[in-house]
Amino acid sequence: MKRKGKKKARSPAARSVPPPSSAGHPAAAPVDGPPSDEQDASERLVAAEGADVPQRARPRKRPARVAPPTADAVVTVPTLEVSAVERPSDPHVVARIRELEERLDRMIDEHARDRESSDQVAPAPTPSRPEIPRPPSSTRPPPVPEPEGVFDTARELLSTDFYLRKWGRLGLRNRSEEVDEFGYDPVYELKVLPLFDFLYEKYFRVEVHGVENVPRDGRCLLVANHSGTLPLDGMMLRLAVRREHPSHREVRWLAEDVIYHFPFLGSFTNRMGAVRACQENAERLLDHEALVAVFPEGLKGIGKLFRDRYRLQRFGRGGFVKLGLRTSTPVVPVAIVGGEETNPMLTRVEYLTRALGIPYLPVTPTFPLLGPVGLLPAPTKWKIFFGEPIDLASYGPESVEDEILVGRITEQVRGDIQQRLDQAVRDRRSIWFG
Amino acid sequence: MGDYLRAPMSRPRTLARMEAKPRVVAITGSAGFLGSNLVGSLEEDDRVGRVVAIDTVPTPTAGRKTRAYDVDLTQPTADARVAEIFAAEHVDTVAHLAFLAAPTHAAAWAHELESVGTMHVTVAARQAQVRKLLLWSHTWLYGAHPSNPNFLTEKHPLRASSREPFFADKIQAEEQARKLAQRAPGSVVTILRTAPILGPTVQNTVSHYLARRIVPTMMGFDPLVQLLHEVDAIAAFHLAVLRDVPGTFNIVGDGVLPLSTVIKLAGRIALPIPHPFAQTVAAIGWVAQLVEAPPAFLKYLRFLCVADGLKAREELGFIPTYTTREALLDFVSAQRLRDLKLLTESAA
Repeated sequence: MKRKGKKKARSPAARSVPPPSSAGHPAAAPVDGPPSDEQDASERLVAAEGADVPQRARPRKRPARVAPPTADAVVTVPTLEVSAVERPSDPHVVARIRELEERLDRMIDEHARDRESSDQVAPAPTPSRPEIPRPPSSTRPPPVPEPEGVFDTARELLSTDFYLRKWGRLGLRNRSEEVDEFGYDPVYELKVLPLFDFLYEKYFRVEVHGVENVPRDGRCLLVANHSGTLPLDGMMLRLAVRREHPSHREVRWLAEDVIYHFPFLGSFTNRMGAVRACQENAERLLDHEALVAVFPEGLKGIGKLFRDRYRLQRFGRGGFVKLGLRTSTPVVPVAIVGGEETNPMLTRVEYLTRALGIPYLPVTPTFPLLGPVGLLPAPTKWKIFFGEPIDLASYGPESVEDEILVGRITEQVRGDIQQRLDQAVRDRRSIWFG
Repeated sequence: MGDYLRAPMSRPRTLARMEAKPRVVAITGSAGFLGSNLVGSLEEDDRVGRVVAIDTVPTPTAGRKTRAYDVDLTQPTADARVAEIFAAEHVDTVAHLAFLAAPTHAAAWAHELESVGTMHVTVAARQAQVRKLLLWSHTWLYGAHPSNPNFLTEKHPLRASSREPFFADKIQAEEQARKLAQRAPGSVVTILRTAPILGPTVQNTVSHYLARRIVPTMMGFDPLVQLLHEVDAIAAFHLAVLRDVPGTFNIVGDGVLPLSTVIKLAGRIALPIPHPFAQTVAAIGWVAQLVEAPPAFLKYLRFLCVADGLKAREELGFIPTYTTREALLDFVSAQRLRDLKLLTESAA
């Protein structure tokens, strides 16, 4: 509509020709006269409404509303200053413009009539509401085909990634969106913590001695004996320090690489705060002044037979001592009693297991016999003893090369832990009640 | 691009030499994603006098400073032709970026382009006495292994599967670049190992993988993933063109994300496949051209391959502006429009 009005403004010559639109639909033209140029759409709409329903109390108002715009139009047309350009002296040009405008008007009217006729089909079932004013078709926005719109909306709702994103958010409800650089996920840990809290408090009834030996802040290495067919000791050590230590420090323990070969196990322990055991990772953690727990026995510690319980295996090649020397980190020996009876391993089956990627198949009184249920740990009484810290800073980082020194310190730490283990095992009256 | 590009050089000697005369930078593979963006970013840098674009396809970002040459690096005589161009244009720095961003079934052609093509470029660079060579490499070349430390440094050996041509060719290309550094003692050879590049416009293996509605994963494995935003990748190469720092650098974004979180943030559905079958499934899928990567890439869905960007930060002065998560979210916002067909673009 706006375009139509504008065009007329530019060529007042066309004014004299009665617009064929008046024949097209009886609504607008005969009552209002030729549409005024500066009228905006809403005013036209009001005017047209009035024209459409003359039986209502509208007509009284109508002339007052319609008149001023027309007067305005008369005034404003010359101010547009386009007439000089648009009124060419050549009659051929004038005729051509007129012809083109008529054609355009005809096209617009045809279009409007088409729409009118299609509209007439639609409102036919509801003739009982004539009072709803229908604006002239040319002023309406193009009608939206309804059923298609519904389907479009439905398709959009079903096929867009809206639900997929919701799905993603749903999947993340138990996970944090960001993890630390080693993959520790605090939200996930919080979710599974009740299970480990139960194990710590009720099941193993962990008793902690000498936790004040762990420094309140700064880097520190906890060196512990490894135990149990299922290595729960890392998590228990973590909980013990978090609960009992005055500054509630977080322990990051180093886990054997072998767990990273297995599905679920590696990603689970990683999210819980474990870090794969290697020099680079440990150094990085200690550079961040973390409290790091290592189990120098490694896989040999987990794979101890029941008859070898609480007899420390070789402490690797003294990697933890080299680490401590290089980074000037104090070492705290830790003895964990109780863990080695949770899954008493009678023997190891080592043939055929390599093909499955498992180092050995443990045989406990319950394990292959009862299936996976047999892997549940026995409710033994756990005690964790923290020894006096051993200061390695005084040796200096260059002493890493001194193999004799490294071996001596390794033996010293190992002896300290072994002594505490022996003492604790001798003092306890029962595996189950301590 | 980061402000650090405009920051004064760390070494005054470099500064003096650089301000003496604007340098001429040749870029091979200039029509690719990295190449074309580097051409565009060097066009706007006053410290670069001329850009020599070498590719078989016209560079879309070529401007006033750029001179384009149509050279096919897979041709046997490419080395002589490239040497001629280097000598005629007095090329000071060559950025060799003619590598594939995604594996291809045309392995023989890829070998000619990546491995032999790099040989041609290094031979030409040595003959034309080019002062500096910049090579694009990938942190994927370290290989994904359960025994990897969480952060691989540049000293770590390249243990990616040598049976997969996509990795083998790139490892060979790195070797050739190192050989050039040994043979031409005065030259500067910088190798930039980028983490998987992701962003709103880049098209590569990772973007293809995350463009799927249903994303295959390995059941029970959730490795940490590291990404580099495309803007940071371009900035790193721009920085390496300006600063003379020989050596190998990991160019990575800060932070890591578990693969499962990546998939969830991208709004995709993970399809966990038990890893004993995955190899076969992936091999069939690759041969049937149903998946975008050969089975050697499965390891990256199982194990860790994350690199440490500390050396690049300290020696090259490269500080990424986007973290891994931000790079992913930037990609996701563009991918969302692509999913709804509101954004269409050709592969870059």
